[in-house]
Amino acid sequence: MIDVKDLMKRYGEVAAVDGVSFEVARGEFFGLLGPNGAGKTTTIRMLTSLTKPTSGSAKIAGRNCVTESLAVKRKIGVVSEVSNLYNEMSAWENLMFIGELYGVNKSTKVERAKQLLEVFQLYERRNDRVIGYSKGMKRRVRIAAALLHRPEVLFLDEPTSGLDVQSSRLIRSLVKGLNKEGMTIFLTTHYIDEADQLCDRVAIIRQGKIVVEDSPEKLKSSLQGEHIVEIAFDRNRSDIETLLRADPIVKDVTKEGDKYHVHTGRPSDVIKKMVQFAASNRLEIVSMSTKQPSLEDVFVKCTGLDAVQLERMELLRVVKASGQRG
Amino acid sequence: MANHSSSNLSRAFSDFVTRGVCIAKKDARIYYFKPQIVGFGILIPAFVYLSFSLGREIPPNLLIPGLVGMVSLFGASSIEAIAIPIERQTETWELLQIAPVSTLTIVFGKSLAGSAFGIMLSLITALGAVLLSGSTVTNPLMFVVAVIVGTFTFSALGMLVAAAAKDMPTANISLTALRLPMIFIGGVFMPIQALPLQLRVISYLTPLTYLVEALREAVAGPSIMFAVDAAVLLAWFIVLQSLAVLVLDKRSLTSRITIRSFLGK
Repeated sequence: MIDVKDLMKRYGEVAAVDGVSFEVARGEFFGLLGPNGAGKTTTIRMLTSLTKPTSGSAKIAGRNCVTESLAVKRKIGVVSEVSNLYNEMSAWENLMFIGELYGVNKSTKVERAKQLLEVFQLYERRNDRVIGYSKGMKRRVRIAAALLHRPEVLFLDEPTSGLDVQSSRLIRSLVKGLNKEGMTIFLTTHYIDEADQLCDRVAIIRQGKIVVEDSPEKLKSSLQGEHIVEIAFDRNRSDIETLLRADPIVKDVTKEGDKYHVHTGRPSDVIKKMVQFAASNRLEIVSMSTKQPSLEDVFVKCTGLDAVQLERMELLRVVKASGQRG
Repeated sequence: MANHSSSNLSRAFSDFVTRGVCIAKKDARIYYFKPQIVGFGILIPAFVYLSFSLGREIPPNLLIPGLVGMVSLFGASSIEAIAIPIERQTETWELLQIAPVSTLTIVFGKSLAGSAFGIMLSLITALGAVLLSGSTVTNPLMFVVAVIVGTFTFSALGMLVAAAAKDMPTANISLTALRLPMIFIGGVFMPIQALPLQLRVISYLTPLTYLVEALREAVAGPSIMFAVDAAVLLAWFIVLQSLAVLVLDKRSLTSRITIRSFLGK
């Protein structure tokens, strides 16, 4: 359904997207993950015919994204990170306008708009101006607008970013349902757990290049040699991290909240040593468990970002998003 | 074969018009009553005209074309100079870009919104001026045709300036910097023939001159020059509209990407 070969976008000397190639099958849920500036949005914009590639080719349903851009646009629905709707109009008027823009005939667009707003739990508020909607409601209307012409491929750029838990869950369950009905979905997200839950396959992009591409489970199993022992002590001591790192069987230590994540290839040895370590340092173990590597661990390994950088990245993104809204 | 391609062509044309009208209706609904439109499109030309005409005896055959020409210019060019920067800022511009419509369709729809506003204001102004001055328009049809062609041209001018400008203040300042000199040399307050030679030459390089001349011919009576003036206005419209398409295409495919998506969202 999506066929990308050696796609490149250069701005002067810098390659924003550097020879990216991948395929997405019909009905597949595909995720593109990567830090800010990695080339996710530039890739999405080239696939949705909004940006011309410097070289390479991108096809959707056999149509070239550059030379057959109108045909491509008829087959796709795009939901950008910002819920770009006309605030002065109601949800219903927005949907009617977009339906007309896509050439959907009147009776069909009325029927589909009603159906979509009911599914998205917004039908009762359909005549209210969008300016009074919450962020989650706006995002739902925006997704409904992208679905009105029944696209074959849906592009979702950070669909749940900054939304409350209830709205995020509703959106995730809706897009999962759409995918089950056969719609091909292309997702970019910062929420790696979200990609893990939803995607059949993910690609991780870094500095314009795809560094790894596979199903979430296969990617996680590629780190199978690595386990995490999560341990919390009754009190915090500033030297715990250094002391833990000193052991040669410990590969890495990260601190998340009041817990330490000890990365190791030998979890049972680490557990024994932790008990000894606690006793010799007069610490009490509050909790201890072992964890399988997550998709986030794969992401961190592939992008070279650590947990603190990920947190900073997310914070920066939230600040920028609120700046844009303001 | 010929029938097939002619039916495709007529379908494409019908889609072009339908979607253009859809964009125009949306713009009319959202932007006609924005305070900025009232300021830049109605109040400024009213104050400019009053400040230059109060206390002077202006004959109706000079007053009506000048006043209507100025109202057409300000009214038609203001809508998109406000609408396009707002849509870029709120990113609703992207809703139009991702839809299966060409940039030409978007530009046509937006020109339609601007010119419909300009036509409405111009005809109301003309009616008021005729009733108040007690004068007549010899050829109302020619008058309406001139207003239609003129407002489409000025709407395309507003769109071109807005397309090239980085934000709304820049668009409005640039547009005002273009509109004010056009008023002084475009025959709004005095016949072009009364201008010094150098200014007369420059005045023939601005579209407003041709609208005011065409309106004057419609007020005074049929003249062969009307067709020339209307043709020049039409040529201006085609040039401005084409430039707007080029600028919008270039901007949407390059600069916004470098700023937003490449350097980080």
